[in-house]
Amino acid sequence: MTTLDDLMKLPGAMAAFEFRGSGEVLEQRIAYPDRINESTLDLLAHMCAANLSIATMQARGWEKVTGMEGFYPIQEFTLIGFDWSVVVSGLQREHYKQAGKFSLPPFMGVVLANESADYEAAFGILERKEPVP
Amino acid sequence: MSMIRRLLALDGVNVICHFRDDGYLIEGYGLMSHNDMGRLAQFARDYRRIAQGNADQLAMFSGMRGWTPPHGWIIRGVTQSLCGVANLVCVVDSTGAPLNEILLELREVSHW
Amino acid sequence: MSIVTDLLAKPGVIAAGEYAYRGDRFSHRGALSEDHARVASIMCRATTMSVNMEASMLEALQPLSGLLPPRGWLVHGPGYTVCVVANVFCLLDNSKGSINDLVGFMRQALPAVPADMI
Repeated sequence: MTTLDDLMKLPGAMAAFEFRGSGEVLEQRIAYPDRINESTLDLLAHMCAANLSIATMQARGWEKVTGMEGFYPIQEFTLIGFDWSVVVSGLQREHYKQAGKFSLPPFMGVVLANESADYEAAFGILERKEPVP
Repeated sequence: MSMIRRLLALDGVNVICHFRDDGYLIEGYGLMSHNDMGRLAQFARDYRRIAQGNADQLAMFSGMRGWTPPHGWIIRGVTQSLCGVANLVCVVDSTGAPLNEILLELREVSHW
Repeated sequence: MSIVTDLLAKPGVIAAGEYAYRGDRFSHRGALSEDHARVASIMCRATTMSVNMEASMLEALQPLSGLLPPRGWLVHGPGYTVCVVANVFCLLDNSKGSINDLVGFMRQALPAVPADMI
């Protein structure tokens, strides 16, 4: 069972996806293709890549200026939209970096319906420490 | 004749638009439909604010002077590029267009 | 009671504040210095502006995306989470508070903001 499949089991999960840092979707699961299609997911992934980069820049700057640690590396960025939320993470990559690997796994994301969204459960799956091969 | 129209006389400039602070298209000229010019204006206004916000943060965190307020931005694509200065945005060819001259002209026209 | 006071009463919330969508005014309470709260409000405003632009672009390219207008955003770090809905931000200690409760409360307490306000 892959992480994408686990993300799809979250309450209100509409889609789950893997994407590159540059935004391209590599793999996806879509629960309701009439609500979210591949084209939307592609745009969403590009947007999330931008947001993670900006949040990382902010965490870096904030920790430097304030001395308050605990933001970097960003574990997840979440956009709470009007009806949907999207949670994305590149945390698995950090584990690979710590293990000295140069080839990194993709970023991961999940789209949730706001009414039933369980952000903590989404973070829990995305923060699960997978073994580094 | 509109002052911004003279930008079109420069090599490689395909579209020039002037927009309000809220992103509403005031005037636009060149090889693009009016609808698309409206979209371009909205995008340019949004992108300008984002670039400004990021530059403000860079200045704030690094303490380095000289980044803010930003004069403009360029997004360079394979065949087409976008240049934004103040409330002006233009679409130019990525190859062959005299980008330096276009930017100077955009800055001058933006002051009018 | 103001929303900021309500937020500060929630478990794990170490600071909360409001920032102006335009300009650099802000107010805050909790464990942040004036200077750090100013930095936080600048960052929050910049990110709110970014996600609004992105959502409107997404909507233009793919209507009914369900993300417009965006209600807020979260940045989840190892120790802390920044939670922003509308123009209110709060800083949560991950080990002491619940993100679901916080987002639920803020979504309910803060109405959706018209795009022209931002």
